[in-house]
Amino acid sequence: MAEKIVVDARNMACPGPITKLTKAYRKAKPGDIIEVLATDPGFKPDVQAWVQRTGNELLELKEENGVIKAVIKVTAKK
Amino acid sequence: MAKGLAIIMFTGQAEYFIPLAVLTQTAANFGIPVRVFVTGFALPYFTKNKPEPRFSKEFEDMVPKLEEGIKKLNMPSWYDIIKEAKETGDVKIYVCSLMAEAMGLKKEDLDPIVDDVVGAAYFMQTTEGYQVIFI
Repeated sequence: MAEKIVVDARNMACPGPITKLTKAYRKAKPGDIIEVLATDPGFKPDVQAWVQRTGNELLELKEENGVIKAVIKVTAKK
Repeated sequence: MAKGLAIIMFTGQAEYFIPLAVLTQTAANFGIPVRVFVTGFALPYFTKNKPEPRFSKEFEDMVPKLEEGIKKLNMPSWYDIIKEAKETGDVKIYVCSLMAEAMGLKKEDLDPIVDDVVGAAYFMQTTEGYQVIFI
């Protein structure tokens, strides 16, 4: 069963949010959804680079009240 | 994308440990191998009796604000970031054998974060094709 994993990386500075995402990704199963919340101003381009690098799917990327939310589908794991 | 990062850590001031930590952790997150060659004035900070790195005197006016900002961000120390990077990815820390000899340091004097004491030839050979960063 695919799961939804929430990674709260708010108030963490670079490279904290991507590190936290990487750790969650290590444990994730194919098809899982990882939702990352971050306030680091560099997180938007960073998470796009991470998705590009790892070959997973970015379903959503938006900013609301200073919080960036990225929703990633784990598609690169077999 | 780089095949790997070969970081030569030479400088011993505190500000240089920030890019060391951030680049190492980022590469680890991306699954890029990192090999760090610790030499020069950076060596004492990789021993068991490591002192706290000090910021350059030249930028001392900026230091209080920087330290306060780092504290507010709950940023882990450079050492903890490297330790975490070693758990996350393929990161090896090598100490320069010449510098270790010159400073009278044996393997047992080095911090557990250090993987081995090696020479320049080994480092160059194992990082062939890597992007080289001198800090």
